[in-house]
Amino acid sequence: MTIRSLGFFLIVSASGVALTPWQGPKLAGPAPVRRIADPFPTFNGIALDPAADLVFFSDTNLKSVVAYPHSGAPGASSAAGKPLRAIRGRDTDIGFVAGIAVDPAAREVFAVNNDIEDTMVVFSYDDHGNVRPRRRLAVPHQAWGVALEPKRGELAVSVQGFNSIMVYGRKADALEPPLRSIRGPETQLADPHGVQWDGVNGELVVANHGNFRGFARNIGAGCVPVTPRESDDAEREHSGPGFRPPSLNFYSADAKGNAKPRRLVEGPRTRLDWPMGIAVDGARGEVFVANNGDSSVLVFRHGADGDAAPARILRGPRTQIDRPMAVAIDAERDELWVANFGNHSAVVFPRNAEGDAAPKRVVRNAPEGSPTVGFGNPQALAYDTKRDELLVPN
Amino acid sequence: MSQPRIAAFARSADGSLQPKRVIAGQGSRLGRTVHGLAYDPVHDEIVVPNPLAAAILVFRGDASGDAAPVRVIQGPRTRLQNPHSVNLDLVHDEILVGDLRADSALVFPREAHGDVAPVRALCGPRTRLDHVTGLAVDPATDLLAIAAAKEVLIFKRTDDGDVPPRASIEGPHTGIGHEPWQLQIQGGRIFLAASNHLHQWAYQGGDHPLPDFKEVPPDPWHDPTPGFVGVWNVTDEGDRPPLFTIGGPESGLFHPTGVAFAVDKGELFVSDSVTNAVSIFRVPQLFAAPGKRP
Repeated sequence: MTIRSLGFFLIVSASGVALTPWQGPKLAGPAPVRRIADPFPTFNGIALDPAADLVFFSDTNLKSVVAYPHSGAPGASSAAGKPLRAIRGRDTDIGFVAGIAVDPAAREVFAVNNDIEDTMVVFSYDDHGNVRPRRRLAVPHQAWGVALEPKRGELAVSVQGFNSIMVYGRKADALEPPLRSIRGPETQLADPHGVQWDGVNGELVVANHGNFRGFARNIGAGCVPVTPRESDDAEREHSGPGFRPPSLNFYSADAKGNAKPRRLVEGPRTRLDWPMGIAVDGARGEVFVANNGDSSVLVFRHGADGDAAPARILRGPRTQIDRPMAVAIDAERDELWVANFGNHSAVVFPRNAEGDAAPKRVVRNAPEGSPTVGFGNPQALAYDTKRDELLVPN
Repeated sequence: MSQPRIAAFARSADGSLQPKRVIAGQGSRLGRTVHGLAYDPVHDEIVVPNPLAAAILVFRGDASGDAAPVRVIQGPRTRLQNPHSVNLDLVHDEILVGDLRADSALVFPREAHGDVAPVRALCGPRTRLDHVTGLAVDPATDLLAIAAAKEVLIFKRTDDGDVPPRASIEGPHTGIGHEPWQLQIQGGRIFLAASNHLHQWAYQGGDHPLPDFKEVPPDPWHDPTPGFVGVWNVTDEGDRPPLFTIGGPESGLFHPTGVAFAVDKGELFVSDSVTNAVSIFRVPQLFAAPGKRP
């Protein structure tokens, strides 16, 4: 006899889960009558190692890191590709993962947990299944992007809530602090997401969403207004909460502290709209942006500044780009990779593709046409009585 | 999370499917990981916080795509620092806001817009507010229930300033562990997503991990204490077990954080961060006349 068949299900005295030492109510049922969930991975970050013939994706739905063959036959595949390896399970400590990077020399893959694990986990290329990470580095809450600069031996990690970039040593582990951070009102960082090094030009590039909480100190446990010093209009302008335009911020690779960006690409001509992951083609002097808000990829020339229009835009139904989260460049094969959050796929283009171009190849993590639920840590719900709809935020 | 948005699904949705509509895009001014959400059936509006911009956004009920909010509460006078939860008191035409980092509960007129001061602000050490993530008003009893760090604190609806709660629901028999999350009140009953996960912040705003930590904190979702949805009378107090619970292996819930309901359908909706899923339970008993404990 199930608890449900009794018509009530409170505080049962038998057949509940083992509770000791928890003294709370024993829990048993009921079972849900319906459940909304996506059984397939949802691509988020992307990292290429052409020499190893591997492409890695972070998967925020099933909480995994998956690896696929980098090469592939031209033409759109209609079948779901089986990953070569999938790192998934409780021991992996992979959670709501966002950015991902690879270290080809060490054959390691780095994945940043965005919410709420507050860690960056590091695995071997060869890891598979429910394995413990090689290293597990504590990072601030709401870390999103990660990028490796092998020559400098440094990892840059973007942190949304801190409005900062933390720079760690390549082998940082456990509670090791950052080597330096970029943080403060002059940085103009506001909800940073994608981060990438430009090794050719000695720069660090950051994509900003523009959400800005402000730098005001909490001096009254919420009992007082959060205004910075009343007399300092300049500080108020820099410090107060607001919605800033989305931007690409370019810093010196050595930047630290309250450093001003060398350049700031920002304004309506940029067409930036929730810029997520970015890729830098230093040799050709181009910056690629996964422009999530309008399902496009924007390409800016090195040196772009201010309200600069993109040099190229890849967008349209033939591209199959849908809520892109990340981009990557394969200089050897002259290809652009785009990881889609919106349609269970990654799409591969010639590096110079623009307009409504069809992809050369498609890597699918689900059968073609599979719906994408798109949940990402749904921590609240509401019911729209007028439309008989369930409202679910990410 | 990575894809900021509000997605709308048919209540009858089941399985893996696309949302009917999505609010997303730069113009929406949404941010990551929305911890609170409320629908206003009287004025057909959606209220949602953006903690990264210290703002409260109000959308039309039928908003879709890159829709802009019709009203925004933001600015130094608002006292908003890190608002994570919202709810509505439509009897008194007010928006309730829980601020997680400021440890406060703020109340605004429903039609507030811009840099406006709250009409009431619960805050200060006597309130015991800490890590506020859920709150709701019961107009019938004129009580305000707030999910704090490890308990539910009960205030008079009109309490203001640094005042102590009139009661609390807390203790081992309640089952409420760390970080109870979304909280709703319906028919004199509190519905609480007792998530029971402990998020330890190795970095507390500085550039270095806190020296108190000797090792990396464990994954909060690996907390061995199971979460559940618990139901109490709003007049309950002390170490009272819930009237009802939804949890355990059969429920598929691990650490539930979101809770809402369709009363006339007898359905309860629950989200869970471990499974990244929303489960729908048919539990008309929970919406029956309140009062007596079973």
